[in-house]
Amino acid sequence: MSHPVSPQDASPPTSQPEPSSGSLLSVRGLKVHFPIKRGLVFDRTVGHVRAVDGVDLEIARGQTYGLVGESGCGKSTLGRGLLRLEEPTSGSVIFDGQDVAALAPEPLRLMRRRMQMVFQDPLASLDPRQSVQSSLLEPLQVHGLADADRKEFGADSSASHLAKVFSMLEVVGLPRAALAKYPHEFSGGQRQRIGIARAMILNPDLVIADEPVSALDVSVQAQVINLLEHLQELLGLTYIVIAHDLAVVRHISDTIGVMYLGQLVEEAPGDDLYARPLHPYTIALMSAIPIPDPEVEDRRERILLRGDLPSPANPPSGCRFHTRCPFRQPTRCDDEVPELRELTELAPGRRVACHYAEDILAGRVRVRDPDLVVEPVA
Amino acid sequence: MTAEAVRPQALSELMTDTLSDEHGTSLWQGAMQRLRRNPGAIIGLVIVAAFVLLAVLAPVLAPYEPATSEWISEVTPSDVPGRSPEHALGLDPFGSDLLTQLIYGARQSLIIGVVSTAFGLLGGALLGLLAGAFGGWVDTLVMRIVDILLSIPALLLAVSVAAVMGQNPLAIMIAIAAAQVPIFARLLRGSMLGQRRRDYVLASSSLGLRRRTIVMSHVLPNSLGPVIVQATLTLATAIIEVAALSYLGLGAADPAVAEWGRMLVKAQDRLQSDPHLTVLPGICIAVTALGFTLFGEALREALDPKSRR
Amino acid sequence: MSHSGSPVRDQTLTKASTRQPVNRNEVLLEVKDLSVIFQQRHGRATRAVDKVSFSVKPGEVVGIVGESGSGKSVTSMAVMGLLPSRATQIAGEANYRGRNLLTLGAKEMSDLRGREIAMVFQDPMSSLNPVIPIGLQVTEVLTRHNDISRADARGEAEDLLRRCGIPDPGRRLREYPHQLSGGMRQRALIAIALACKPALLICDEPTTALDVTIQAQVLELLKELVNDLGTAMVMITHDLGVVAGLCDFVNVMYAGRIVESAPRRELFAHPRHRYTEGLLQSIPRLDAPRGEPLTPIPGTPRDVIAWSKACAFAPRCRHAADDCVVGDLNLMPMGRGGHQVRCVHPADAPDPPQEIRR
Repeated sequence: MSHPVSPQDASPPTSQPEPSSGSLLSVRGLKVHFPIKRGLVFDRTVGHVRAVDGVDLEIARGQTYGLVGESGCGKSTLGRGLLRLEEPTSGSVIFDGQDVAALAPEPLRLMRRRMQMVFQDPLASLDPRQSVQSSLLEPLQVHGLADADRKEFGADSSASHLAKVFSMLEVVGLPRAALAKYPHEFSGGQRQRIGIARAMILNPDLVIADEPVSALDVSVQAQVINLLEHLQELLGLTYIVIAHDLAVVRHISDTIGVMYLGQLVEEAPGDDLYARPLHPYTIALMSAIPIPDPEVEDRRERILLRGDLPSPANPPSGCRFHTRCPFRQPTRCDDEVPELRELTELAPGRRVACHYAEDILAGRVRVRDPDLVVEPVA
Repeated sequence: MTAEAVRPQALSELMTDTLSDEHGTSLWQGAMQRLRRNPGAIIGLVIVAAFVLLAVLAPVLAPYEPATSEWISEVTPSDVPGRSPEHALGLDPFGSDLLTQLIYGARQSLIIGVVSTAFGLLGGALLGLLAGAFGGWVDTLVMRIVDILLSIPALLLAVSVAAVMGQNPLAIMIAIAAAQVPIFARLLRGSMLGQRRRDYVLASSSLGLRRRTIVMSHVLPNSLGPVIVQATLTLATAIIEVAALSYLGLGAADPAVAEWGRMLVKAQDRLQSDPHLTVLPGICIAVTALGFTLFGEALREALDPKSRR
Repeated sequence: MSHSGSPVRDQTLTKASTRQPVNRNEVLLEVKDLSVIFQQRHGRATRAVDKVSFSVKPGEVVGIVGESGSGKSVTSMAVMGLLPSRATQIAGEANYRGRNLLTLGAKEMSDLRGREIAMVFQDPMSSLNPVIPIGLQVTEVLTRHNDISRADARGEAEDLLRRCGIPDPGRRLREYPHQLSGGMRQRALIAIALACKPALLICDEPTTALDVTIQAQVLELLKELVNDLGTAMVMITHDLGVVAGLCDFVNVMYAGRIVESAPRRELFAHPRHRYTEGLLQSIPRLDAPRGEPLTPIPGTPRDVIAWSKACAFAPRCRHAADDCVVGDLNLMPMGRGGHQVRCVHPADAPDPPQEIRR
């Protein structure tokens, strides 16, 4: 690859320097539905799995947005929908002024340089027959060096590509000997470093990390979390971190969004969310997460949830959480869909989708079934 | 990892750093290493190598010219001369040297087996690639065609092709290949569809790779393993099928060409008096097929991702 | 037990059973110097478990914590007689009520497994029979161990499933394992394990595949089983949070050996082994404010040295020194409540105990 003009030069310049406080990503009414097909000869669509069902998000440049929720809540699909790795059914994803959801295939392909993804299973997300060197060079051969790197490493040529690979490898803490090796020859943590290096080598603006540490050994997770934080500082990245582990998300995120059955039920700055969860689901989720400290564990009150996640193909009426909600109030919760609204007086800057958030916070609405509350031991 | 810098001397000496050597082992290299440790693979490979050598070096190895019928006068309806100083295995029913015929037979089996499998592989892989790469209606169309091909018994298909095209080696090759096409097509398609769901394909498209690049340089290479194994196993079947077609009288028309299957059928009525005339070509067919099968199975095991480490 | 009621408390668990009364001071399971060596195909031998000892009393939860490859699961499989006998050498003892489980025949062992000892695995699919409805699998256990009719067993099975957090148990009883979600299967498996009211329950990562809200339900259920029936439990997990809430006594394993063992509160308040200490410093805590730095353990669990040459953790240890390179470190008592540690430079120790080295 030695052509003087790299592919993205042809596309109109999109990255004007903006104030760092501006919003980089703005999502409106995003829906990702999967058709359920049946039929012997001709497939008939008999319904839809509403994996993501109307999500509004705003993510500021340089911030980390954490998405939590249990398996099946649609958080991974949301992440993939934002990058159009799954086709959105409706809604818009405005990334730096352009609607990604409406881009034609070729502009989308070129846009991908600026939006990258880190996957959960580093072994599955690397081509088993591709050496590390080839894995890291491939994105550069497709897109060329980013503008910022071109100053440092010179114009596009295989030599400057290789120089960039070397420097990226050093940043993620792998020896040069790793270049000639194949994914199966590394440990889980090292593989995830390769996956991260591959995502970061194009100098993206936005990185979506889908469960970046959950496949790793406990003692290795912190290395990868620290690496992600270090890279954010170094490259000025904006992150969306998707994880089921609320402790990990809280550690790394500025703002946390809690998802349930394809929708956001609560959004708040991490510290506030822990100190004062407003949505009943968040309250139960928080209380369910074990804390590695017996003193804390023995003093905690636990709110248990009943049953399983309802099917996203046929979500409950009214508030989607009402079938499992320990605070459920007659009729209104079953009938009326709660809006994701800002509690302007009680908790400014936070959004929650519950009719009774204020009442629960004030203690006016309590858990109805005492069996669902596990009192502290001490 | 900064802590490694302060690691005490005594510890460093005990540590074997897994990343210190410069060379990586690709999946293929790893498979080859496992293959080398597998006795089945070695035995299979030795048989296959012997068979290929026999075929290639037939003019050097064989004591006489093939199918000369030079000693036809010595053959009587009731007796075929056995071992003698001139003929290590005796004569065949047409008065040629049996050993020579067997050695040249290897040549015939190898050519027909390899060429027909190559045809089958090529055709099948092309169809499979089409179906696997595009999916959707292309996939449905291709697979229905393959299903129809598959519903016809392989030997019957071969017989009909041979019947239409007449008795020449090319017809046999095409006949055998036609029967193999659906197997390879299904295998490659299934394998590609399995790979397409893997995360690295998603990762490739999130990197902005072109669709063609993703299919050709990521999905396809990772899908080839089962196809290569199948090709090795199919070689064994092809060799047996060549013999079977000859046995049914659909083999090469030219009687001057030595061919194991025909040797078998022509010696059939002498099974009582001279069993070696049928047993020896039979053993040749069986051992060769066994060699390919052993090697193919070992290859399957070596390429299996679960067998790693 | 201060809490008065919860969804899992019920007559099924507390009803007087046919079992003998539990003596909470008797040692129910005592594992002594358990070693497991796997002979690999090409002549190499791996010592997966190396002289592991621990014991469990009725009504007690003993935790075994470790990462992948630490030998924690192999330990439980060896005790339950579930390791393949080919190419496996098992040494040591696992005495259950005076009988060594490691020397029991297959028949006696499977008898004991169904009746007194139960096991819950991480992957429920492997331990449920795929061609038998869930209901039958539960009632089978109930009728085998209790003298009750099929109809009663059915009612009780329904009850058990409901208490395990399975909604609509009547319908679920008729379903096959593949029709249930992962979390539902795990709870069905636990229901089957509870149906025989085991004296000893071995749980191998029972909640790892579950969501946290489901995990909370399951852990609550297990706690009740231990408190109400006096079941002895061995809890194998990598999750220190689960250990902190559930276990009475904790064994930390690294590279096949127990490196530290202590009562729960003592372990978390004063971790002595550098590995335990490192783990606690490296995991993000829900109650820690944003930005609290994590101190990772360098390297990977693959970077080990044979215990016969040095401390296996030394390659990853920030406090490793040349004197860590000594063969066969011993577990030495330190601190309170039977706290033991296998370390040359333990945390919070001004003078490294010299006698720790042999």
